[in-house]
Amino acid sequence: MMLEIKNLHARLADGREILKGIDLSVAAGEVHAIMGPNGSGKSTLAAVLAGREGYEITEGSVRYQGRDLLAMAADERAREGVFLAFQYPVEIPGVNNTYFLRAAVNAQRRHRGDPELDAGQFLRLVRATLKLLDIGDDLLQRAVNVGFSGGEKKRNEIFQMAMLEPRLAILDETDSGLDIDALRTVARGVNGLRSPDRAIVMITHYKRLLDYVEPDYVHVLQDGRIIQSGDKDLAAELEQRGYGTFADAMGGDAA
Amino acid sequence: MNAVVDFPVKPEARGYLARFVPDDSEPGWLAARRQQAMTRFAELGFPNRKSESWRYLDLQPLENQPLLPSPAAPRADTAALSERLAHLSLPEAASRLVLVDGRFAPELSTVEPRSGVWFGSTAHAMRERPDLVRAAVEGIEGDEAHPFAALNTAFFSDGFVLDIAPGVTLDRPLEIVHLGAGISESSFHTRSVVMLGEGSRAGIIETYAGEGRYWRNDLVGVLLGQRAELTRTVLVEESAAAVHLAQIEARLGEGARFTGFVLLLNGQRVRHEANIRMGEGAKCVINGAYVVTGSDEANIVTVVDHTAPGGQTSELIKGVAAGRGHGAFQGRMIVREHAQKTDAHQLSRNLIIGQRAVIDTKPELEIYADDVKCSHGASVGDLDETALFYLQARGIPADEARRMLIDGFLREAVDTIEDIAKRTHLLRRLAGRLAELEG
Repeated sequence: MMLEIKNLHARLADGREILKGIDLSVAAGEVHAIMGPNGSGKSTLAAVLAGREGYEITEGSVRYQGRDLLAMAADERAREGVFLAFQYPVEIPGVNNTYFLRAAVNAQRRHRGDPELDAGQFLRLVRATLKLLDIGDDLLQRAVNVGFSGGEKKRNEIFQMAMLEPRLAILDETDSGLDIDALRTVARGVNGLRSPDRAIVMITHYKRLLDYVEPDYVHVLQDGRIIQSGDKDLAAELEQRGYGTFADAMGGDAA
Repeated sequence: MNAVVDFPVKPEARGYLARFVPDDSEPGWLAARRQQAMTRFAELGFPNRKSESWRYLDLQPLENQPLLPSPAAPRADTAALSERLAHLSLPEAASRLVLVDGRFAPELSTVEPRSGVWFGSTAHAMRERPDLVRAAVEGIEGDEAHPFAALNTAFFSDGFVLDIAPGVTLDRPLEIVHLGAGISESSFHTRSVVMLGEGSRAGIIETYAGEGRYWRNDLVGVLLGQRAELTRTVLVEESAAAVHLAQIEARLGEGARFTGFVLLLNGQRVRHEANIRMGEGAKCVINGAYVVTGSDEANIVTVVDHTAPGGQTSELIKGVAAGRGHGAFQGRMIVREHAQKTDAHQLSRNLIIGQRAVIDTKPELEIYADDVKCSHGASVGDLDETALFYLQARGIPADEARRMLIDGFLREAVDTIEDIAKRTHLLRRLAGRLAELEG
């Protein structure tokens, strides 16, 4: 199993419990969508999987390719093939985007025992990837995300994902606030990554992205738990009925 | 040497006074000046920490274990020094003048003669152009109040002199490298002067490095004629046991421009003081960056005195303190009553790594004119945890991510260096320093 989450509970430093028992299994080759309203715990789930500090895991386990994911530091998870596309990509003044990405690619290559790419080899890989995604090279010479528009930031996330070729990609609301062109870039990146040995988890508020990237499974997250799972038709149902009435209809204690 | 002195002597000055031997071969004006300065230092002693401009630097190590001036220059291993120079020096300098333990090292220097330019060691200038040296010694006030400037006057052994005729422009920077050979524990007192004639332009880069325990006491005088432009870049990479006290005294003529950059990377105690007096419509840019770690201390002290109308000054200083390091920036701006239309801005931004590092930043604006634009800003913060996580989430190990953020932070200042060769060189030296920074 690529990712196996069992009864995951997580709380913030102030004691507020955000995840209240998540169960989710993602196999290689699958695309999962996790949908839910604001405050349901979607971004916390993404952050916990990526290894962000500030959350306490009080119960449960997460296994990634059979290993205890929660025992690994954030950078080790990334080198092992976990990629988080940030909902709010961080601006880093003074750090050149190309330099940053080369450091990331080479950190991963070192980890795998592959030789590092020199400047020329790296640039060729960059050009090929940009072409594949049909994005311009204007972001390369700027500082990481500094002064990027919302769409440019998300494109940059997808570009990084394509360069790093993760085994497990987690997209945290990558589709929100995007115009149609940027959304297509995102979809191209995600669809390009789909393969039998990779898995993708898309966290989203809206069904829109799912029109471009068809998921194998859709889960509904509500108040820190997955209250319903199904196929792509579940997304359509959600969109139609809204999260509130959907949760009511589930009749659970979730709402 | 054992002559009875009829003036008060501070205990910490005794050793230095005992080393003071008048040199009969020197001209009378210099001998008199040295004697006067020696007396002054004996009276003043070391500045104590009650003195405002020295309060952030602990000179106790130097007081407890004095580093006296060495009377003769021991010759160091030229091959080893050449190798060190290869790393330290700018690849594309037009000429390079090297001083080893405060004395000119001709075998390591390459100085190309050029018409309209006199460039050489202070000792050489004393023989060939004593007028320039006299200007360097007498044209600069300040050793009355400043004990180490007085000590410098009493003991300076060498330095460099650059004199440029009016209207001459140097396209490539001149390089001066001050090396400490690590042979003897002593102090090196160097006195240099840069004089630019009307409308001339030049760039210099000065690098200070060395091995072992020593005290460098460096004083540079700068006299810029009308509309003359000088760019001076300073790189301080002294040994971990070194004390580096440097002072620049600059006088800017009407419409002159001084662009100074200082990068302080290494040394147990490092202090860089710049005193600038601005003529009418003069422009002054002082940017800089420092990194302190271990239990090192670094200070940048600037005083820009606007004495005439229309002066423009801008300062950007970025500091990083790690370990138990202590950094400080004191930036004083004076705008005199007649200096209307002065435009002066100062920004100090700092980063503290870890729990035990300390940074002080102290702007001082003294404004006596009413039609001026002056501002200052200061900030001290930690590394951005969100940015750190972002880099780690891409697989970059925590140490490397931290270095990237520190480098990015300091780069904003280094990037203000216009000359690409100098900028690239300094960024490379900075990266080298950060690679050995503790977390």
